[in-house]
Amino acid sequence: MKRSRFGCPWLALLLLSGALPAQAHGSNVQFRTTEAIEIQAQFDSGTPMSEAQVTVYAPDDPATPWLQGITDERGHFTFTPDPARAGNWEVKVRQAGHGDIISVPVGELASETVIAQTHAADSTSAATTAEPTDSTPAATTAEQPALIARADWSGSAYTPLQKWLMAASGLWGFIGTALFFTRRKG
Amino acid sequence: MTDSAMSSQSKRWPQFAAMLLMTALAVGCNTSEVAEEADPDVENAPPETEAATTTDEVETGTGTLQLVANGEDFVRQGFTTKDGWDITFDRVLVTLANVEAHQTEPPYDPDSDDELQAIETITLVAAPETIDLAAGDAEAEPILVSEEDVPGGQYNALSWDVVVAESGEAEGAAIALFGQASKDGRTLDFALRLDEPLSYTCGEFVGDERKGIVKADANANVEATLHFDHIFGDAELAADDELNAGALGFEPLAALAEGDTVEADSARLAAELDAAAYEQLTAAIASLGHVGEGHCKLN
Repeated sequence: MKRSRFGCPWLALLLLSGALPAQAHGSNVQFRTTEAIEIQAQFDSGTPMSEAQVTVYAPDDPATPWLQGITDERGHFTFTPDPARAGNWEVKVRQAGHGDIISVPVGELASETVIAQTHAADSTSAATTAEPTDSTPAATTAEQPALIARADWSGSAYTPLQKWLMAASGLWGFIGTALFFTRRKG
Repeated sequence: MTDSAMSSQSKRWPQFAAMLLMTALAVGCNTSEVAEEADPDVENAPPETEAATTTDEVETGTGTLQLVANGEDFVRQGFTTKDGWDITFDRVLVTLANVEAHQTEPPYDPDSDDELQAIETITLVAAPETIDLAAGDAEAEPILVSEEDVPGGQYNALSWDVVVAESGEAEGAAIALFGQASKDGRTLDFALRLDEPLSYTCGEFVGDERKGIVKADANANVEATLHFDHIFGDAELAADDELNAGALGFEPLAALAEGDTVEADSARLAAELDAAAYEQLTAAIASLGHVGEGHCKLN
């Protein structure tokens, strides 16, 4: 995952100083950082499914679309799930008779970083397979869509590095405090 | 407090500041990664709509789950093949068996190597049952095959077999196609009997609506879909479209005509089509099974 060289210091500065809304002449512009799910839709030839129909279903209401939209020209679609609705968020992408659906676990069921994929990138077309075998990933001669969902969706969880840093910070606090009072008595 | 104690305390402040900074960095790094990944042009805000069907509603009680089979408009209305033959079907006989609907967790992905993990399985067809996908008029609904009272829930996977019929008009064939093909003023009657058995495990239906969600005292359905354009191709698609590239078309079959009739079973097709065409045909047959536009794994 690409990281900005400047991202962490900027965020740290904002956290220390407090993030304030920018106000001028009665306007009110605010920002917030969010954790999003990005869907990448492409045919197994690698062609992006651009301007494909996207329907998102929340885990607690599988029959009703929670969000509808279209992919961009790169076949990407990004949305921010409701963190209060934990479970499998399902995203359906369709274009010109081709379709696929992907399930993205969010919240309690989620791992700290989720990468879900519905189609093996190296899948081979059955058109070249006279005798189907167990290794045949899907039965098709037609171009099939493939969806990849990439998310740094952690809910209330943190990455192992973050947990380690926080634990180290806390531990150092205890040690430092103990040393402080020990030295004072001496 | 003595001066030395105050001095000692003041020396500790950098340590506390460092601890606070480390914590802030830890939180800040996580948040910035995601913000950079998201493309603001396609970021989509959540709607503020009330849920119409909750999971609790779905999972309680008993409803009815129907199995429908669908040959799509290609079968009901006819179509033009990739090589220009206008095809209409009189009958498309398919013999289904061992059809099971599953509630799976996690949702089954036929494109992965993961096993289907069912928390509920319902048998919809056990013994072989032959259906005619071309039954009804051009606007007919998909064919109702069976229905069962089932526990509520989301049946998000379907497994099914196509087997060789042991009796009736389709006897000896798993799939039997009867119809007419016309091109350049010539019309051929065809009867194709394909005896290759098939077995599929499919994920969730993909189409205009979501299927398989059974609520208390209500009907829902799951669909076994067969894409016959995979065999013949589709003139509405580009010649180099992957579907057409993989399809046999009708011309190689027309070459087998005797008079105005093409009658062939799998044995004759294997013997008289050239090797590449027969390989293309068997691959196309293997790829027939879908759930709407959703994928199936060939077992």
